[in-house]
Amino acid sequence: MLFLEHKETLTDDDAHIGPAVSGLYTQGEVTKDMKNTITKLSVMLLAATTVLTACGGNNNNNASGGNAAATEAPAGNNSATDAAKKDVSFTIGYASGDPATKKAIADTVKKFMEANPNVTIKDLSETSSAAYLDWLKTKDAVGEFPDLVEMRDTQVFADAGKIVELPADLLDLFESPPQVDGKVWNAPMQVNAPQGIIYSKKAYADAGITELPKTYDEFIAIQEKLKATGISPLVVGGKDIFHMGFWVNKFLIDDVYSKDPDWNSKRTAKTVSFADPAVVQAMTDFKELFKNYVDKGWLSTADNQTASILVSGKAAQLYSGTWMFTQIAEADPGFEFGFYAIPDRQGKVNVIGLPSPAGWSLSVDAAKDADKTAAIKDFIRFFFAPEQYSVYLASINAIPSTKEKVTYETSEQMQVALDLIADTSVTKSLAINNWWGDNLIPPQFRNWYYKLLQDMVVNDADVTEYMKKADTEYDNQVKANSL
Amino acid sequence: MATSIVNTDKSFIAAEKPGKKKKKWQSYALLFILPSFLLYTLFVIVPTAGSVYLSFTSWDGISSDIRYIGFANFVEIFQSPRVQNALKNTLVMTITLVLLENIAAIAMALMVDKVRWFRNLFRSIFYFPTLLSGIVMGFVWAMILNYNFGVFNQILTSVGLGDYIVDWLGNPKYAMLSIILSTVWKGAGYYMIIYLAGLQGIPQELNEAASIDGAGGWQQFRHITFPLLAGSMTVCMVLSMISALKIFDQIAVMTDGGPGFETETLTYIIYKVGFGELRQGFGTALAMVLFLIILIITVIQVKFLQKREVQL
Repeated sequence: MLFLEHKETLTDDDAHIGPAVSGLYTQGEVTKDMKNTITKLSVMLLAATTVLTACGGNNNNNASGGNAAATEAPAGNNSATDAAKKDVSFTIGYASGDPATKKAIADTVKKFMEANPNVTIKDLSETSSAAYLDWLKTKDAVGEFPDLVEMRDTQVFADAGKIVELPADLLDLFESPPQVDGKVWNAPMQVNAPQGIIYSKKAYADAGITELPKTYDEFIAIQEKLKATGISPLVVGGKDIFHMGFWVNKFLIDDVYSKDPDWNSKRTAKTVSFADPAVVQAMTDFKELFKNYVDKGWLSTADNQTASILVSGKAAQLYSGTWMFTQIAEADPGFEFGFYAIPDRQGKVNVIGLPSPAGWSLSVDAAKDADKTAAIKDFIRFFFAPEQYSVYLASINAIPSTKEKVTYETSEQMQVALDLIADTSVTKSLAINNWWGDNLIPPQFRNWYYKLLQDMVVNDADVTEYMKKADTEYDNQVKANSL
Repeated sequence: MATSIVNTDKSFIAAEKPGKKKKKWQSYALLFILPSFLLYTLFVIVPTAGSVYLSFTSWDGISSDIRYIGFANFVEIFQSPRVQNALKNTLVMTITLVLLENIAAIAMALMVDKVRWFRNLFRSIFYFPTLLSGIVMGFVWAMILNYNFGVFNQILTSVGLGDYIVDWLGNPKYAMLSIILSTVWKGAGYYMIIYLAGLQGIPQELNEAASIDGAGGWQQFRHITFPLLAGSMTVCMVLSMISALKIFDQIAVMTDGGPGFETETLTYIIYKVGFGELRQGFGTALAMVLFLIILIITVIQVKFLQKREVQL
């Protein structure tokens, strides 16, 4: 994080050097030679300091690195009751781009601290324009890697020695959590839920749409009908790069992952290409959809603005996840909306729904402190306790990951999502970056690829040419990671 | 001090001898330099040396595994279309910003120098945007220019120009322009202060004499004011250039380098690859390249502007 600190230093430098030099000129107290020297010096110093310290990095953070897998978490027999007597403090970090999730977790943290007055949890989460991985990486660089962290790039951080295995005594809480390198690193916060179209029932009625689509072509026909009524058919929060993933992965799952779940590992081995017909077809559909049916302001619309655009009637549909149901209902309790998964051209339904290694993880540093670890384990148990967990799940419409049955009153839309998960004819898959093991993509590739696709749409560029760029970048990143 | 006056200092004696070069400083002067030297070494030289090393590694920024990869990062920099695009954007943005900021600053300085009423009020209004941080400014302009909720598009719609509304930050044709204009709005007030100091240093007699000789307002500006602002201009041009080369906050908040990669600059790409894409080694190599570019441009600019000062 030296870069950002450096930016602040430079701003101060500018403010000080400017008037000083100016003063020298107007007061005429120094000779011309000295003036030139001072100007030159200040210019050179500014030039030199502008860049060189930019990415100095923070090696100290890595002093505790090494092999995290080898770092033993303190034994679970350090009783929670002992820890409860001591004042303990730990930090927590999680993805807070979605307001409903942020509120749900913040509420749980607050309730835990009320129930355990000796434990202080410092919430490091910030809502920023940065992607969660960028934010987490930046926190690590400034030495503020959270003690308890919502982990999404589990393999990356496990390999880097930043997180430890989930303590063994917590494993019993969950129904077969996914493993990376044969180990469980996370307490899964929920099971992956399907994404789909959230639509305004009024807009559909106004456009004379009486039936939900059975194929992708019927879905496009619906977009035409909506467009004809003068409404923007789709709102997209493209300002937040993660939001791009909803649509990108819908098409990738339909044309690529539903047919070949090991496509990523084959791409790494260079036996398949982004320029192959299946991917080109997926991205052509993506481009055509965005060109023709997405609200013009999609690149400056943030994810958290999409609900209000939908309920205001400016747009008819939003493609997102179940967590949006609460936001939409809160934005306008009277707004009537439905939810469905978009079928592919053959009428088959493919959705996100496989388990993936993500969830709460303990940092290596936190695991070295027995009291902290005990407090964190208490928090995790509290988080997943049915009475607490059901509130969390209900507020973001998520599917429980625990062995113990957790129930909450589901809405009509959530029932559709649960039916999709239960339906064996529906193919379950994952987003491009949520695979692991041999199917793990270079961690930096996802954001780059989504940006490339934005570029492709706004420049109305040739899909195959852009997919060749994706191949080159993917190979470069694989190579860079292997060096 | 007394000891040096009684000529116990050998350098002083040596300086008295004809033909010998006079020494301008004495040995204890080093003590005064020492604190600055230590701080500068600790906070600039040492990290800089670390950066030089990291630019030859494949460090991802989080792992303790730092591997030397020779010139691979630099080879990639010169082959990457994305870096070339960022370099082009940096140069376009720098040239445009330097010109626009200085033109606006001179215009504002002349205005507040001559205005009779509310002089301090106008100075404050013009200077105020400078006080905002780039992040705050970025958020404000991002809200103003938002396609769906922004004031700017609402004004256009309300005056009957609804057909002309565009996504100012999402359309590649306008995103760069929007960043440049908002940065001029923020930065020009600062340079105005420097130009104002320069204007007030110009002897009034020169303008009076020119006026008596029949010179009009434009002729006075062209032949007296503008040449005598050369010193201020050197400072402002150099500072605005450096500021433009390191522009970051506005881009991060307003466009995140987008749409796609359309508004990425070198400083922004350094951050993105270093922190977002887990390629600290590559990002540091880019930082080294940017340092060289800034150094070369600065040397050329200072040489040119100083030559102009001497000529004038």
